Amino acid sequence: MRMPTPDAKIISKRSIIVERLQQIVPRGAFGENVIIDSAGLSAYECDGLSAYRQLPLVVVLPETTEQVSKILKYCNETGVKVVARGAGTSLSGGALPLADAVMLGLGKFNQILNIDYANRAVVTQSGVTNLSISEAVSAADFYYAPDPSSQIVCSIGGNVAENSGGVHCLKYGLTTNNLLGLEIVLMNGDIIKLGGKHLDSEGYDLLGIMTGSEGLLGVITEVTLRILKKPETARAMLIGFDDAALAGDCVAAIIGSGIIPSGMEMMDKLAIKATEEFVHAGYPSNIETLLIVELDGPLDEVTDLIARVQNIVNGLGSGYIRVSESETEREKFWAGRKAAFPAIGRITPDYYCVDGTIPRARLPEVLMRISKMSQKYKLRVANVFHAGDGNLHPLIMYDANKLGELERAEEFGTEILILCVEVGGVLTGEHGVGVEKRDLMEKVFTEEDLKQQQRLKCAFDPNGLLNPGKVFPTLHRCAELGRVHIHHGQTPFPDIPRF
Amino acid sequence: MNKSLIPHTKKEVLDIIRATINDKASIEIIGAGSKRGWGRPYQTSELLDLSKLSTVTLYEPQELVMTADAGTRMEDVRQILAENHQHLAFEPPDLSLLYGGSKNTGTLGGTVAANLSGPRRIQSGAARDYCLGFVAISGRGEEFKSGGRVVKNVTGFDLSKLLSGSFGTLAAMVSVTIKVLPSPEKTRTALVFGLDDKMGIQALSETLQGPFEVNAAAHLPAGIAKNSSIARINTQGQSVTAVRLQGPAISVEKRCQGVKALWQCYEGFEELHSHNSDGLWSEIRDIGSLLNNQSNQIWRISVPPSEGADLVAKIRSDIQCKTFFDWGGGLIWLATDGKLEGVGTIIRSALRLAGGHATLLRGSSELRLTSDVFQPQEPALYRLTKSVKDNFDPGRVLNPGRMYEGI
Amino acid sequence: MKTNFTADQRSNPLMAMMEENLRKCVHCGFCLPSCPTYSVSGDERESPRGRIYLIKDMLEREGAPNKEIVTHIDSCLSCLACMSACPSGVNYQHYIDYARHYVENHHQRRGFERFMRMLLVYTITHAKVFKIALKVAKLAKPFSRFFGLKISNMISMAPTKLKTAEITNEARIYPAEGIRIKRVGLLMGCAQNVLRPSVNEATIRLLTRMGMEVVVSDGVGCCGALSHHIGKNDIARDSAKTNIDAWLKEFDQRGLDNIIINAAGCGTEVKDYAYMFKDDPAYKGKAQKISDLTRDISELISEHQLPTVKLSNQPNIIYHDACSLIHGQGIRLEPREHLKSAGFEVVEIPGRHFCCGSAGSYNLLQPTMANELKDRRLALIGEVSDSNKVSILATGNIGCLMQFASGTDLQVVHTVELLDWATGGLKPPY
Repeated sequence: MRMPTPDAKIISKRSIIVERLQQIVPRGAFGENVIIDSAGLSAYECDGLSAYRQLPLVVVLPETTEQVSKILKYCNETGVKVVARGAGTSLSGGALPLADAVMLGLGKFNQILNIDYANRAVVTQSGVTNLSISEAVSAADFYYAPDPSSQIVCSIGGNVAENSGGVHCLKYGLTTNNLLGLEIVLMNGDIIKLGGKHLDSEGYDLLGIMTGSEGLLGVITEVTLRILKKPETARAMLIGFDDAALAGDCVAAIIGSGIIPSGMEMMDKLAIKATEEFVHAGYPSNIETLLIVELDGPLDEVTDLIARVQNIVNGLGSGYIRVSESETEREKFWAGRKAAFPAIGRITPDYYCVDGTIPRARLPEVLMRISKMSQKYKLRVANVFHAGDGNLHPLIMYDANKLGELERAEEFGTEILILCVEVGGVLTGEHGVGVEKRDLMEKVFTEEDLKQQQRLKCAFDPNGLLNPGKVFPTLHRCAELGRVHIHHGQTPFPDIPRF
Repeated sequence: MNKSLIPHTKKEVLDIIRATINDKASIEIIGAGSKRGWGRPYQTSELLDLSKLSTVTLYEPQELVMTADAGTRMEDVRQILAENHQHLAFEPPDLSLLYGGSKNTGTLGGTVAANLSGPRRIQSGAARDYCLGFVAISGRGEEFKSGGRVVKNVTGFDLSKLLSGSFGTLAAMVSVTIKVLPSPEKTRTALVFGLDDKMGIQALSETLQGPFEVNAAAHLPAGIAKNSSIARINTQGQSVTAVRLQGPAISVEKRCQGVKALWQCYEGFEELHSHNSDGLWSEIRDIGSLLNNQSNQIWRISVPPSEGADLVAKIRSDIQCKTFFDWGGGLIWLATDGKLEGVGTIIRSALRLAGGHATLLRGSSELRLTSDVFQPQEPALYRLTKSVKDNFDPGRVLNPGRMYEGI
Repeated sequence: MKTNFTADQRSNPLMAMMEENLRKCVHCGFCLPSCPTYSVSGDERESPRGRIYLIKDMLEREGAPNKEIVTHIDSCLSCLACMSACPSGVNYQHYIDYARHYVENHHQRRGFERFMRMLLVYTITHAKVFKIALKVAKLAKPFSRFFGLKISNMISMAPTKLKTAEITNEARIYPAEGIRIKRVGLLMGCAQNVLRPSVNEATIRLLTRMGMEVVVSDGVGCCGALSHHIGKNDIARDSAKTNIDAWLKEFDQRGLDNIIINAAGCGTEVKDYAYMFKDDPAYKGKAQKISDLTRDISELISEHQLPTVKLSNQPNIIYHDACSLIHGQGIRLEPREHLKSAGFEVVEIPGRHFCCGSAGSYNLLQPTMANELKDRRLALIGEVSDSNKVSILATGNIGCLMQFASGTDLQVVHTVELLDWATGGLKPPY
């Protein structure tokens, strides 16, 4: 992985930068809010994509939006890069530090500010975890719909930056469909409020643009979300198949019949085995592929839909159907799925989680080709994915301490993603481009396409200081992009040693 | 009158825009031209008419996806979808009556460019939430695409959102990919009569906080309800508070009973079944027939739902107007004398405390020139908006000034 | 996780084991929200995932650890909530214990700090010395504001009233009522029997009523947890060996069906003796045997039956999970079930479970964080106590008991005291 060459001039000014940051964010009750020692920095050296690591120049943990604004304004004026970080759970290296960049941690933005049932909205600071929002409104039978598997830890600001999905987005949408408002700070220090408890934006949909912008456009400090009433009933079905292709057919048949389940997930044998050891969700062990289908709504509707799905499944000849009989059992079914990634950590020292989306109908074919690749690269792969919306998460198992295995795992991952694009899908469904898929962007987009995206970047951050080196394979200077006659020259990233 | 250019291919659109840039001229983009009255009045040298780009190029019902040229008529889209028991869940309105055009004239591109949505907005979102990808020509004369044909996609910035609601000021879309959904099996509407604005919105709020999966919630004061074409609504001489329930028959039945139980405290509970129900909600969606005086100026105000009634009361203390509420109180349609000046200032000063924004949806060109059509922006937000425009259309070639002066 | 241990480092079996443990961490962060110190500070270094990185850095580099690393290792409560949260199976308990031991051997603490730590372990684990210290502390109470936070916190933790124990740590046999169904050894605990002798008294009354002969064996003393958690492994091992020998002697001579522990912190430690000695050929088997025999009092009750409930109109109570029970030993439901069977209405504390800040000697060594955690916990308890007319807070560990008692008007009791009361024993406070 190539990252932009660290700017030696900035690194040499480190002590001045630190001093200024310490003025802006003084020591708090529980220690320094500006971290400078190498051990302390090492705690911030990577996010959920731990194969890539880099010590940041300095870490700062502001407590207020005003402090964020002052930090960004100072950095903008002095040409210092900034990388924002929520809970550090990105699976694409979105929060990978840079050697010459300030890491701006939002861990202290951990308060829910306002719960408003009349307007069905929650206002929260950006470092609050996804799950704690649902927990805070749970007593009134409300919840926040997007539920990425890491919801217990991932921050809502990070969810917005990555446009996180989750197992229930098939019916209830992604972050972008459940977001009402934001407070953001631009690189020049401007604090901007977008949206609120009302719908639609005034002017351009900058709320929509911020969502999924991977920390390149602005720093999110406050979020207003739509909350939903919990469905009267939700029941999950475990459906087992001896053949992955049949499971694919089942998914297509359910959607084709006009049913939109609230979640439809698929796991293969290896994934079932690993999660079962941690969660004991009661998954069957003697099948090839497991579908988890959840239906929610009024009791009679759910009963009716379960019967319809059962008919479809019977028609396909599956030998295993189990329907959750209680809320505890339903949660158990999901607990397995949600812990699936880290649970793979029990059967392999390291894994590489791939994230591509394909049209649903191509599922069986893609699965077969992944299995062939697994033989070719001599690496095991466990498949866990959101079958309902064609979002694949093959987990490639490797050992980072064995020479060459990481590289082989990456090549394998790349081949899967290229296959996704080839069948009409995309590089990333919900984990983001980050550094991980950055160099594959040209497989999907033309140079012209990418230029438009970078122009948006220029509108928000003309000096290119926010989270550089992510998302875009080549850097164009805004001045160059701004010229009406465009030159086609590229500034590739010079090499730095990989980790 | 400006020169009308009617391209038949994407290449022709590209050539036209490039030529316009070279000529340092400007261009107004239209599909069917059904919403030309929406926005600030502006002059361009040319008119880019995309109505001949009208092919549905991909429709896979099982994949819930459709790709069509920007000029594809909404009527055609609806019809193709209906044949497969599918629909556009964001319920785009037909604003033709409002602007005095003929019925069902809008296009897919226009629907996305204006980010339309209907009563189901509260549950299912707007055009922005369904636009999966597009191909467009920017104000720099560059062809580009964004997004794709799958729902879950975070590959690069979500430019579909940028173009949704940008009124053609950044790029001319030539093709759009949208997510489609199965049509609901059954529809029913629950009604109560005679509530004032505040109580009506309160009743809507209660149902929206309940487990009924209400997907539309409106309150029509008596003066608006009488304009409805549905006999059960227009003969009451009272206000109407309505929620819509859709889904499998058995479920709709049960939920409707639930709403009835909740609304026991109000008088005159009634139900509308499929035909009348659809009729009522298309009137609420399309606005025109409910606010039928063609000489009125019409405002669209988006607020936090709990603020709706108070906001209207406050505005009423300053101006005479007709109003009704959609989105559980969060969307206010306001009609008043077309000649009256300063309405925008009154509405917007009332909005300052409540939060939200107001758009002058219809008004004379003088009015649209003197009032801000779109909500004025704070300085920092305006700078950012201008910066976005600078990057996509530095020469102010596309729909210049339609949204904001200089943008 | 990728590690960079040298072949030389790996040749040390303990280090090799730490590496193996480390490599299970996939940096998913599921542990973060479970960690009390991270929830307060929002600082990655104050989280299990952060600490794992800091410790890895320390172990890979060898030599004296940097001061910041020590700070963040010291600030860990060892509440082990992260272990319950970890899907990848990282054994944080053994990892942090090893790190503390490493710090103890490679880091020179400031004179005062070092002295405090020595004094603390010595005092608390020696009943007679501890009693004298508490008396001194009591006298010093009016002057506590003249001392630094640590000292003043120590003074404020000391109870104003100290009851003399009717039951001492000396070897003794308490015969079963009726037919004897079991013979169990009781760990009296070092601090507990000084601070709150009624816990052991209630335990003995309850168990003998259940038909068990309770024996306090000669030589059994401190379990070693306190020393262990501040990195003084040698002292901890010595304590453990003394206890193992004493109990095995009892086992061989007169038989012992179980070892019963009513201080959850001690229970976690004794159950971990097996791990502590797994590379010690002389003690491996013995330690395993003792760990296997060990039960928390609530587990033992679950294996048998609570005596007939004699009380009526039992008050509503709030139950707080001691970390060493819920995370250290995975015991959550048992105490609640017993309290319910004994007729108490158990009111749950809202929100997620968090440590009260006591954590062995933590509240004495890390007073700022400990007080913050106590206040947060008490604020949540306050949300439900009045509305449910609760005046009693029950918990299963002496540390939590003392921690809460120093900050609330609720009566704070040990679960076993309530169970004894409901089944014919004395009503707390005694």
